[in-house]
Amino acid sequence: MSDEYENKSGYQAQSSEALTGSAGSAPDMDYVRPAELPEQDLYHGHTFLTKWVFCQDAKVIGVQYFLTAVFTGIVGLILSWLMRLQLGFPGLAGFITAEHYYQFVTMHGMIMVVYFLTALFLGGFGNYLIPLMVGARDMVFPYVNMLSFWMFFVAVAILMASFFVPGGPTGAGWTLYPPQTILEGTPGSGMGILLMLISLALFVIGFTMGGLNYMITVLQARTRGMTLMRMPLTVWGIFTATVLAMLAFPALLVSAIMMTLDKVIGTSFFMPTILKAGEVLEYGGGSPILFQHLFWFFGHPEVYIVALPAFGIVSDLISVHARKNIFGYRMMVWAIVGIGALSFFVWAHHMYVSGMNPWFGFFFATTTLIIAVPTAMKVYNWILTLWRGNIRINTVMLWCLGFIVTFVNGGITGIFLGNVSVDVPLSDTYFVVAHFHMVMGIAPVMVIMGAVYHWFPLITGRLLNETLGKWHFWATFLGAYSIYFPMHYLGFIGVPRRYYEMYDSPYMTSAVGMNEFISLAAFLVGAAQFILIFNIIKTLKTGKPAPKNPWKANSLEWHTSTQPPEHGNFGERLPVVHRWPYDFSVPGAKDDFIPQTTPPSEVVHTKVEKT
Amino acid sequence: MHAGIIFFLVILGSILFHIFTPWYWTDIASNWKGMDDTITLTFWVGGGVFVAVCLFMIYCVFKYSYKEDRKAEYKPEDKKLEKILTVATTLGVAALLAPGLIIWNQYVNVPKNSIEIDVMAWQWGWQYRLPGNDGKLGTTKVVNINDDNPFGINLDDPYGRDDVMVQSDIINLENNRPVKILLRSVDVLHNWYVPQFRAKMDAVPGVVTYYWFEPNKVGEYEVLCAEYCGVGHYAMRGGVEVQDPNSYQEWLGEQETFSDLLAKQNKEIETKKVAKNNSNIEKVIYKEEK
Amino acid sequence: MSDPKIDGFELKPGFRGMASDTGSDQTMFKGVHWGKAMMWIFLLSDTFVFSCFLIAYMKGRGSTPVEWPNPSEVFALEAFGVPVPLLLIALMTFVLITSSGTMALAVKYGYEKNRKMCGWLVLATAIGGLTFVGMQAYEWSKLIHEGVRPWENPFGAAQFGSFFFMITGFHGTHVSIGVIFLFIYAYKVFAGHYENGGKRGWFTTMKGDYVEIEILGLYWHFVDLVWVFIFAFFYLW
Repeated sequence: MSDEYENKSGYQAQSSEALTGSAGSAPDMDYVRPAELPEQDLYHGHTFLTKWVFCQDAKVIGVQYFLTAVFTGIVGLILSWLMRLQLGFPGLAGFITAEHYYQFVTMHGMIMVVYFLTALFLGGFGNYLIPLMVGARDMVFPYVNMLSFWMFFVAVAILMASFFVPGGPTGAGWTLYPPQTILEGTPGSGMGILLMLISLALFVIGFTMGGLNYMITVLQARTRGMTLMRMPLTVWGIFTATVLAMLAFPALLVSAIMMTLDKVIGTSFFMPTILKAGEVLEYGGGSPILFQHLFWFFGHPEVYIVALPAFGIVSDLISVHARKNIFGYRMMVWAIVGIGALSFFVWAHHMYVSGMNPWFGFFFATTTLIIAVPTAMKVYNWILTLWRGNIRINTVMLWCLGFIVTFVNGGITGIFLGNVSVDVPLSDTYFVVAHFHMVMGIAPVMVIMGAVYHWFPLITGRLLNETLGKWHFWATFLGAYSIYFPMHYLGFIGVPRRYYEMYDSPYMTSAVGMNEFISLAAFLVGAAQFILIFNIIKTLKTGKPAPKNPWKANSLEWHTSTQPPEHGNFGERLPVVHRWPYDFSVPGAKDDFIPQTTPPSEVVHTKVEKT
Repeated sequence: MHAGIIFFLVILGSILFHIFTPWYWTDIASNWKGMDDTITLTFWVGGGVFVAVCLFMIYCVFKYSYKEDRKAEYKPEDKKLEKILTVATTLGVAALLAPGLIIWNQYVNVPKNSIEIDVMAWQWGWQYRLPGNDGKLGTTKVVNINDDNPFGINLDDPYGRDDVMVQSDIINLENNRPVKILLRSVDVLHNWYVPQFRAKMDAVPGVVTYYWFEPNKVGEYEVLCAEYCGVGHYAMRGGVEVQDPNSYQEWLGEQETFSDLLAKQNKEIETKKVAKNNSNIEKVIYKEEK
Repeated sequence: MSDPKIDGFELKPGFRGMASDTGSDQTMFKGVHWGKAMMWIFLLSDTFVFSCFLIAYMKGRGSTPVEWPNPSEVFALEAFGVPVPLLLIALMTFVLITSSGTMALAVKYGYEKNRKMCGWLVLATAIGGLTFVGMQAYEWSKLIHEGVRPWENPFGAAQFGSFFFMITGFHGTHVSIGVIFLFIYAYKVFAGHYENGGKRGWFTTMKGDYVEIEILGLYWHFVDLVWVFIFAFFYLW
C-alpha cells in the first residue's frame, strides 16, 4: 500500500529568492519565511472506491457533503410544501393529519438547521474551500475527514429511516422539549425520537472529526506568507463557526444522551412527576428547564454556526464582484470573532417566557442587543464595499444583494425578539417563525446560491447560465420575501406557531387570505429551485468552459495548477502569499486585481497598501 | 439597472404594506401598553435602519454598476467612519434596550394588590382555582390529583379549604384589578396566552411559574396554548371573561369551594355508608326472618 | 525538550510580539505537531462535554424534591469490620493519578528514544487504567447489589443513581478507550514503529514518531483530571 503515497519527504525550505527568481528588483522586498513543515504526504486512491466513495481528498469530501446536504434539503423543502398545503388550504390534502403535520414541522426544522445548513456550510464549503484558500495540499487528517463524512452519511440515513418506523418520525418540534418529546400524545414518541437522538449524536461525533480537521488546517497548515490577517473572510467565517460548533455541540450531545436515558431506561433527568390519563408516571424530580438550557446553549451558537460562514462567503463574493477591496477588513474579522464569542452568552433569550428565573431576562437581553453592534458593523461594511465600487450586476451579485436585504430585515426583527419585554407578546407566534426564516433560512440560502454560481466554474470548469440564474434569483428572492415579510404580521395578530389549523378563532379568520397567499408563494419558491437543477444539468452537458479565474479573483483557490484543481491542489509547489485577497482596483496596477501570490516587486509602482 | 428598480419596489412595497396592512395588533385589553409602545419605537428605529441600508444599497447599484472604464476606489479602511458608525449603532441599540428593560422590570415585579389565580394545564385543557376568603391558595401536589380532588390540594393545608374551584376552561376576571397568574402543569409544557393581554409565560411541570397583568377592557377573550404540547396543541383553547366588579362578585359567589366539594363527597360517602348499613340491617332482618 | 527552532522566525517581546507571533504565517503554534494540536482542541471540546454533564448534575442535585443521599455512607467500604468512608474511591484515585505519573515518564523516555523504558511505562499505565476500570466495575456491582439503579435507589433522590451511573459510566468509557489505545501503543513502541524515521500508521499518512506517545499522554492526563472533578463533585460534596 505504501507505494500509493507520494514520496515527497524533505523540507520545501528554499529561500524566496530561489522560488520567485526576482533578481532585478530588491530581493528583500519579496522575502517570505521558508517553510516550517515538510510537504504533506497524500494518499492517492486508484480504485473507484478509494477515488470517489471512500475518498480522502477534501474536495471530493466537500462535494459529497454538499450533495448529501442538498438531498436532505430537498426532503426538508418537500416537508415545508406539505406544511404550507395544510396551513393555506386546510383539508385539501386529507392525509395530512395533525400527527403528520407536527412530524413535518419537526423534521423540516431539524433537517434544515442541522443536516442541511450546518453540513452544507462547514462540511461542504469548509472542506472544499479551506485547504484551497489557505494554500494547503489537503486537510491535515484526510482519513479522519473521510470518516467524518461517512459518519454524517450514517446520521442522515438513520434520520431518514425514522420516516419508516412504526409511529413515524418524531413530532416534538425541532427543539425536542421534554417532557412531551418522549411521552404519548406526541407523534413518534417511540422509535421516532430514539432514531432522532441517535442520529444527532452520530452527527456530533462525525462533525467533531471534521471540525478538528478544519481548525487544525487553518491554524497549522497555511502556506508560506498566509498570515491570519491575510486569510479570506470565508475562511475566517468557517473557522470561527467551527470553533463555535466544537464548543456548542457537546451540549447537544449531553442532552441527547440524557434524554435517551430518560426514554429508554426510565431515568428522570428532565422528567418531573407527571400525571397522564389519570395515572402518575414512574418519573419524578427532574427539571424540564435544564434541557432547555442545554439545548439553547447549543442552539444559539448553532444560529451563528450557520450565519458566520455565510457572512464570510458573502464578504468575498461582494468584494470580488464589486471589484473593490472589502471595506474595513480588520473590523470584519473582529466582528466575526466577537459575534462568535458573544454567541455563548445569549442562549437564554430563547427562554424569556420559558418559566426560568425572570431575572435572567435583564442579563440576556443586554448581551443579545450587544451582539447587534458587531452584526450591524458587518452590514455597514458590506454596503460600504459596494459604495464607489465597480459593481458587476451578475447572478452572484444579485444573490449577495438579496442576502443584504433579507439579512437586514431579519436582523432588525431580531432586535424585537431579543429585547426581553418586546419578546413577551411576540414569542411563540408567527413573528418568530418569520424572523428566523428570514435571518437564518433565506439569508444563508441566498449566500449558498451565490456561492454555487461563484464557485461552480472552479468545481466543474463550466460557467452556469446567467439568464437562468437571474430567473432563479428573482423567483426565489421575491417569492421568499413575500412569504416571510407578511408573516410577521400574523405574529402581530397573535397567531401562535405550531398550530395545525387555526381558523376557528375569530381574530385569526382575517388571516385566511394571507395564509393562502403565503402558501402559493412557498410553492413557487420551492419550484423555482428546479431552475437551478436544470441549469446545472444543462451546464454540465452543454455549458461553455470557464476560462481560468473567470471572475478575476485574488484568492488562492483560483490560482491552482489546474481548474478544477487536482488532488494536492497546487501542483509542484505550494503558492507563496504576499498580500491579502482584496487588492482590487489598486491605483497604478495593470489589471484591476492583484492575486495574493503576486510578489511586491512586481507591483512596486502601484499604491498598494501593505497587508 | 432593472435589479435596482426591483429592489426599490420591494422596499417601497414593504413600507406600503406596513402602512396599509389590515393585519395588525388586536386591540390591547391590559396594562401592557408599554410593550406595544416599545414595539412601535423599535419599528421606527429598526424600520428606518432597514430602509436606509436598502436605499443606500440601491443607490450604489444605480450609481456604481459596472463600466469598463471606471475604476473602483481603493481604500481598505476608514477608521473615522467606522468609529462613528459603531458609536451611533451602540447608542441606537441602547435606546431600544432601555425601555425594554424598564418594562421587563414591571413585568417581573407583581403588584401587592393582585389576585392570585392558579391556572392548571394538562394535555389538553385548562382549569382554574381562586383563593377563598383568606386570600391564599392552598398548596398542591400532582400525586394528590384524582376525581375527588381535581386540583390536587393538600388536604392538611388549611388555606386550601376555601379555595374557589373553576372546573371549566373559562375564567372570569375582575376589570382593572391586577391578576397574578400562577401556572402549573401536570404533564408537559403549556403556555396560557391571551393575545389581547400581550403577556404570556410557560407552564412547566414540577414548578410554578407566574406573570401578571391588569385587564382593563370588559369582554370575552380566547385563551390559546402558546407552547407546543403534543398533538392536541392547536385545539387547546380556553376563555377569559373580563367583567365589571359587580358581575364578577356575583359570578364568584356561584362558584364551588374545595370544602363544598369535600362536603358533597362526604355526604356521598355517608349516604353510601348508610346505604351499606341499611343493607346490612336488612340482611340481618332477613337472616332473623329466616 | 528545547524549544524547536523556527527558521526565520523571532519572537518579539510584549503584547505586540504575541500578536504578531499568533497571527504569523503557516502555523499559529510554532513547532506543534498537527496531531498534538488536534488532541488539545479535541480535549477542549470534551471539556465542554464533561462540563455540561457536571453542570447538569449540579442543577439536578439542587432541584430534586427528595433529599440527596449522603455520599460518605453510600460509598463506604467495610475494612476489617469498620466502615471506612471513601476507601475504594481513595484507592481508585490513587491508582489513576499514579498512572498519570507513569505516563509522564513514558513520554520523557520516549523523547529520549529509550524504547524499552518507554514501552514498559506505557504498559504500566495501561495496567493502572485497567485496575481503575476493574475497581469501578466492583463499585458499580456493589451499588447495584445494594439496590441502586439509574431510575431509583433506596437512599434518596432517584437522580443520584441516574447521574452517578451516567457520568462515571461516561468517564469509565473514556478510561477504557484510553486503556485500549495504551495497549496498542505499548505494542507499537515495542515493535519499534517510532524508531528510524518511523513507520506509517494504520489510518494515517503520517509517519510514526514518539510525539504520538505525548498525544496519548495528553488524553490520559485529561481523563485523570476529569476524574478529580468527578471525585470532588460526587464523593466530597
